[in-house]
Amino acid sequence: MVKALREEVKRLFEEKKVDLVIGWGKGSLPMTATPIFINKAEDAERLIWDETCSNNLAVYLTKDKRQLVKTDQKIGIVVKGCDGRSLVLYAVENQIQRENLVIIGVPCAGVIDKKKVLKHIEGKEVLSASFEADRMTVEGRGFKTEIAKCDVLSDSCLNCNHPNAPVFDVFIGEPRKSDSVEDVYPDVEAFEKLDSEARWKTMVEAYSKCIRCYACRNVCPSCYCTECFVDQNDPQWIGKSPEITDTLIFHLGRNLHVAGRCVECGACERACPADIDLLKLNRKISKEILERFNFTAGLDINEKPALASFCENEKQDFIMG
Amino acid sequence: MIKIEKSNFGTFIQNLSADYSLFAPVGEGQQSAFREVKNAEQINTHIQITQNSPKTVFLPQTEVLFEFSGDDIQSEEKPAKPMFFWGVRSCDAKSLNLLDKVMGQSKQRPDDPAFQDPYWKARFDDAIILTLACNEPASTCFCNWTGGSPFSKDAGDLWAVETETAYLVEPLSEKGEAFVKGLSGYDTASEKDKQSIAKLKKQAESYLQPAVDAETLKEKLPQTWEDPLWDEVSAKCVNCSACAFICPTCYCFDIQDEGKKDKGKRIRTWDCCMFPIFTKEASGHNPRSLARERVRQRVMHKFRYFWEIYGESLCTGCGRCVRVCPVNLDIREVAKQLLEADSAA
Amino acid sequence: MQEKDKKDWQPKILAILCNWCSYAGADLAGVSRIQYPPNIRVLRVPCSGRVDPMFIMKSLQNGFDGVLVSGCHPGDCHYLSGNYNARRKFAVLKPLLEYIGIETERVQFSWVSAGEGERFAEVVTKVTNDIRKVGPAKRLVKGVVSW
Repeated sequence: MVKALREEVKRLFEEKKVDLVIGWGKGSLPMTATPIFINKAEDAERLIWDETCSNNLAVYLTKDKRQLVKTDQKIGIVVKGCDGRSLVLYAVENQIQRENLVIIGVPCAGVIDKKKVLKHIEGKEVLSASFEADRMTVEGRGFKTEIAKCDVLSDSCLNCNHPNAPVFDVFIGEPRKSDSVEDVYPDVEAFEKLDSEARWKTMVEAYSKCIRCYACRNVCPSCYCTECFVDQNDPQWIGKSPEITDTLIFHLGRNLHVAGRCVECGACERACPADIDLLKLNRKISKEILERFNFTAGLDINEKPALASFCENEKQDFIMG
Repeated sequence: MIKIEKSNFGTFIQNLSADYSLFAPVGEGQQSAFREVKNAEQINTHIQITQNSPKTVFLPQTEVLFEFSGDDIQSEEKPAKPMFFWGVRSCDAKSLNLLDKVMGQSKQRPDDPAFQDPYWKARFDDAIILTLACNEPASTCFCNWTGGSPFSKDAGDLWAVETETAYLVEPLSEKGEAFVKGLSGYDTASEKDKQSIAKLKKQAESYLQPAVDAETLKEKLPQTWEDPLWDEVSAKCVNCSACAFICPTCYCFDIQDEGKKDKGKRIRTWDCCMFPIFTKEASGHNPRSLARERVRQRVMHKFRYFWEIYGESLCTGCGRCVRVCPVNLDIREVAKQLLEADSAA
Repeated sequence: MQEKDKKDWQPKILAILCNWCSYAGADLAGVSRIQYPPNIRVLRVPCSGRVDPMFIMKSLQNGFDGVLVSGCHPGDCHYLSGNYNARRKFAVLKPLLEYIGIETERVQFSWVSAGEGERFAEVVTKVTNDIRKVGPAKRLVKGVVSW
């Protein structure tokens, strides 16, 4: 698979189809891949594709983060299902020039969440890790443990129904068949069943850990405003300190801004240094939007995001009769 | 050097917590931090390094400087008991000293209290820091790059090593001397204990990777200012502040008033040079508008500017930023790349 | 909360009303001398589509016990589609706030036209009674947070 990817990228360079390719390379830590930007055929050897490639690379096509990417360049980008959905979103929102983009799809069986691995081995340090089909082996000083991959998959991958990019120019290997046929939200449903007090308590406990580093926002492909509402100071919407109501309103505000646009890649959750399950709120919104408007973000290049469109005669049960 | 048997550790901690606000590593993994403890069971004794550094206690993410109501201003009282920090790693102990240079002392006007931060001083000046030698440095540790070592005695008031059966403690400062004098009923460490320290030290040092000399880097940095390498190393940075907020030496802050009309509080809260808004001027101009410039600023501040003013690196090599970076922007790799670059002078 | 405070407590409700319908409806209720609880503070906006969910969350954070947003009936928007867009936003906001544990009564939406003075009074009465039932806001209020 990796070999085919490298060959393909090499070919794209040789045929002058791309000036720059954004992909994943080997990171400096075990279980970690890192985004790489390559601009010549021989560097294709640095590309990798495995279950550690968790970053959503689409984010590097947004205006603020386009450091090496020049607008008139032909850009190749390696994408999983969710990254590909982000590209669809960008196309819908006129953020990319589709003709300048070569989308290289890879079939995704889910990426791992390093934090889950660390929890599994109770905070011990992993010095090396290897992967097989359905399990991984981690090794450190004085221990070697086998972990079932499904136990450490990123939350976003557990109910993922879109393993391949919906739009692509080349695909490496065979597109992966999805395990399920529809989007399901068992996690959201379980949380909805708790009483209101318990839900609030869980939220306060979770979001009290937030240190307001904005890693979630900055790795989010759907968050590309040149100035985020949380950075505006005239008026200042949100206090700068990690006070709980300010923090919650920041997160809720962000959730609402990406409502109908979130592709549930889970990049926010994996980036969070405070280990908050951020996707919980995004998934609630996705579920609501799917049920009400029968819309899923990032699948159809011709469909407007749910909150940018409307139907005249839709259900309005939440409005006083 | 005195010896606290592990069997007595519980009593030792209990006694400590009576006289001091005792802080020690608590929690696992991403939740680990220095928090106030009352007994030994709460302490995580096997942790390599806490995710949150002791900085969060001395320079909290947010603190109220004072509350105001009309012309009336009230500020918080000094803590009643001095703080005792158990189990600070040498890199973190050093980071507190570095922070003290900025917050507590002032190089330019050392005798002028207006140049000293009273909030910092109220906490730090009376605090006793026990530096616990690192028996097992993590793979992300690089204290050896910036003049540190796992068994360094350069910072802290007390120094301790954990052996199989005991903690061996020796004083490093006057405060430490006084503390040790105040202890009674503990044995002094034997020759055998000292040998085991040497052995542990050797083993710990063997875990570290070969050092890159930070001083060479400092010499090199001015030449790299315009180097296109900065574009390359910063390309993947997403400009969050995870690295700065868990850094034991990042001290930039913002001051804000929160409240309504003439009633409220003035707070000090961490800020970060990775945010575009950090340097944005009222005119709308931003001298550091690009990620390249911001990443360069952070690296330069750690490895060059601080050195030029205070004579040492602001990075202590704790490796926290390496661990939390969501895009694996590894400061060690950046340093190596910069050293290898052949930038024109 | 003390029993005594409970008795004296009066809910403070922010009513965000669109200029063309609901605000005029409130006006009609006033000139027609229709009685309704004095617990609302009116914020006039050009259109319900102008209402950023942030307004609602900030109001709760700053101590309002409830928020009512009211606009033109579907099809009647002065700007043709402002209220349709607003409706989609509210369709997401309301369940989201409920999901995190904010009492569902605190944030309510209604359509009131310029001719519905009577209805405006009914809406305000209902919202006030609802909020009275759930009591003073404690959850998303800055400096008060509890459960």
